[in-house]
This record gives sequence, structure tokens and C-alpha cells, in this order.
Amino acid sequence: MKKYIFTLALGLVALVASAQIKKPELMVIPSDVWCISNGFYTEIENMGMTVKVPNYKQALQESMELKLAIAKLNDLMAERQFPLQSLEQTIKNLEQRRMEDNLTLSKAGNELAESPLDEVARTAKCDIILELSWEMKDFGPKHSLSYILEGRDAYTGKAIGAASGTGAPSLTADVDVLLEEAIVANMDNFNNRLLDHFTEMQTIGREITLDVKVFANNAAGIDLETEYGDDELIDIINNWLQLNTVQGRFSMPYASENTANFTQVRIPVYDERGRAIDANGFAKQLSKMLKKEPYNIPSKVLVKGLGRAVIILGEK
Amino acid sequence: MRKLLLSLLVVAFTVPVWAGIRQKKADKDTDQFRYEIECAGNAIQGTYLVKVWSYSKKASVAENQCRKNAVHGVIFKGYGGGQGCVSQRPLANQPGVEAQYKEYFDSFFANGGEFQKYASVMEGTTETVKVGREYKVGCVVSVRKDDLRKALEAAGIIRGLNSGF
Repeated sequence: MKKYIFTLALGLVALVASAQIKKPELMVIPSDVWCISNGFYTEIENMGMTVKVPNYKQALQESMELKLAIAKLNDLMAERQFPLQSLEQTIKNLEQRRMEDNLTLSKAGNELAESPLDEVARTAKCDIILELSWEMKDFGPKHSLSYILEGRDAYTGKAIGAASGTGAPSLTADVDVLLEEAIVANMDNFNNRLLDHFTEMQTIGREITLDVKVFANNAAGIDLETEYGDDELIDIINNWLQLNTVQGRFSMPYASENTANFTQVRIPVYDERGRAIDANGFAKQLSKMLKKEPYNIPSKVLVKGLGRAVIILGEK
Repeated sequence: MRKLLLSLLVVAFTVPVWAGIRQKKADKDTDQFRYEIECAGNAIQGTYLVKVWSYSKKASVAENQCRKNAVHGVIFKGYGGGQGCVSQRPLANQPGVEAQYKEYFDSFFANGGEFQKYASVMEGTTETVKVGREYKVGCVVSVRKDDLRKALEAAGIIRGLNSGF
């Protein structure tokens, strides 16, 4: 009897826990502008051009001001019951994952098309990136600090909101003091925008972009105009999206026999088991549906960050 | 001896009655929450520093209402920025929230009400200006906005950042 009651209680606890929606994860990173203007970047060659890529690890190791700003933001967000993810820890995890990926990718023979920011966001599994930048300006003997905190949806890269401003000119040249002052003064406005975003996300889901493509001369011999009963394949995909997006929200700005682009696709924040879904997870659900009878279409899902996925139909 | 007792009795009755009349006058003057609110500088963490201009026919009355108006302003009006100040949205920015929770706010802003816990007038900051037949009195008030926000969240008047999660 005791065992029965215990199992029942455990079941109830699990049920309550799963009914609770998980909190979005937030992480502060220094903006590209700040990293580059402060010399925290590496130069890489990309298609014949030299590109400056922010070096977050170097920034964290060498800038005390950055660490102070992140600590202050963490303090203020924790006060609102939203502790931030640690960028430093994420970078350590990323390095570990890169090592593993290098081995896996060389075997698969293709590469991931992700920016450093995408990589950080994916490793941290964070939902919102808070990009931080500041600059000291001199007005004769006085100094002033310009500050920008910009929230970005890690899934789509779209801006959620920003808090920015220039503090009153002060004789204090201490960046730490002015930075802390700016963070404290601007945080409420930023959180108001964050709250608006959360409300929208809870109501109409998370936004992603989905591209559906077809391998040329694929073994399955299909394209998006292949007919199954009365419907073409593109109609079947459309119908599936209609059923599986929140309130049937998505748009298809372009479609041909080989390609279809779906934008503003609003996916549920969590699946029925309470696990967070990103574009990749959502695309895999579509891929599974197409793999089944009567379609039997093999497909490949490519990762392009949290908010964009590409499905290539016809082959694995 | 009788005269002294009588005088004492008169004083004992008159003072509270007079105080009551003054308070009623204050309430009447500020019942409409007629005031202006502006930023008074950068405050310490968890607070807003605002300057509130209250109106009344008696300068002392308006001064008494500064705290009440400051809290009201932070909840319902917000204030503009400039000169190094950052503008702030009101804590309760849903339209009609004041009317929707009238009972709560009537009690909150009543004399001796809960609003007192969240505001303190900065000493030596009071300014009085005569405008026509009334006084415009300005005070710098420190409003404990974090505590105020938590109280409003707990009362279900505003949504917390973690609401729904």
C-alpha cells in the first residue's frame, strides 16, 4: 500500500513539473563592435576576404570591465528570477564540442555553416542573446559613457529590444562606476521589452525559418510537384505546417519545383514532453513524417543555428 | 483648575479635528492626482529618484502629498529622460489598470496606506512656487521601485518577468 501511495505521489510531482513551461535561457555577450574596437578579435580568410571574428575568450580573459558588466547584469537579472547563462562556461563547453565535432565532421565530409555567435548560442542552448557594448566619450575634463544593451532572439537573430543611452557628463573617469550606473539605469526598460517578447512567445510560439530543397536527380525521383493522390508534395508540406505550427502561422514567400522557403514559422516553444524545440527539431519532425508511408521520402536535415533549418529531400 | 482642564479638553478635541480637516483638504486637492513627475538623477540600485510637483491652495498640503504622488507616478505615469537621466515606463502600463483594481489602489493610497512604505522625501529638496491662487510644491522623492514592483506582482496587478514559466 505504501509503495502504491509513494508511486502515485511521485507521478503527481512529475505531472506538475512537466506542466510548468521552462524558462528561456539568457546569455550576455560583448557585441561585435565592442570586441573589434577593443582588439578582441581574430582575422580569418573567408572566400578571399579577411573577416574579423570576435574572440570572446580573449575578451573575458583580458577585460575586467566586461566581467564586471556581466556580473552586474547577472545580479540584476537574478533579482528578476532570470539568472544568466555563463559565457565563460559556454566557451569551455564549446571548445570541448569543437574537438568532438572536428572528428565527426571529417568523417562525414561536410562542414557546419555557423557563425561564432550561432555556435555559442547552440552550445549554451540559450534562447536570447544580450549583446552589450559601451564606449567612453570625453567632453573636456568630463567623461560620459554611451551604453547599448540589445536583446536578440537566438533562433531568428531578430532584435527583441534595446536599452541605450548616454550618461550625464561626469568628472569621474572610472569606467566601472559609469558602466554600473548605466546598467542599473537602463535595465528596467530592457526588461519591459523582454517581458513583451515573452508574452508574445507564450501566445504565438517561437519564430523560425525553414527551407525545403530537393537533391538534383535524386534516387527517390521526386520534386516538390510530385503528386500523392490529389495533392502535390508542396501541398502536403503546407498542410503539415498548418497543423503543426502555432495557430497555423507561417508564410511561404517563394516556392518552385525544387525549393520552398517558409518564413515566420511559429513553432511551439516546447513539445508535448516539455522539451524545447528548435528549428532543427521541428524540421526533423517534418522529415519523419515524409519518411513514412505513403511518401517514403528520405531527407537530410542541415543545422543552420537555432532558428533556421534546411531539409533536402530525395536522399539521405 | 477648571479653566485649565477645559482648555486642555478644547485643545485635545480641536487638534485632531483640525488635522482631519487639513487631511481632507489634502485629499480633495490631490484626489485627482494632479502632479508632474520628472527624473531627479541617477538613483541607487532598486530605487528611482524623482522630482514631483504637487498642486494645492496650501503649500503645506501639497508637500504632504509628494510621497503619494511620487508612488502614483512611478506606477501609472513613468517619466521622461534627458540630461543623463533615463526615461522609465510606468510599472503598470496596461491601459485601465487603475480602474480595474480600484479597490486595491483606494486602500493602497489611503492616508497611512501601504504607499508610504515605498517612498521617502529627500531632506532639503522642497521648493515652493506660487502659481495664481495656488501653490506648486516640488520635492525630490526616492521611490523603492523594486519592492513596489514585487508588491504589485504579488497582488497580480502586473506581470512578473517570469510569469508563465
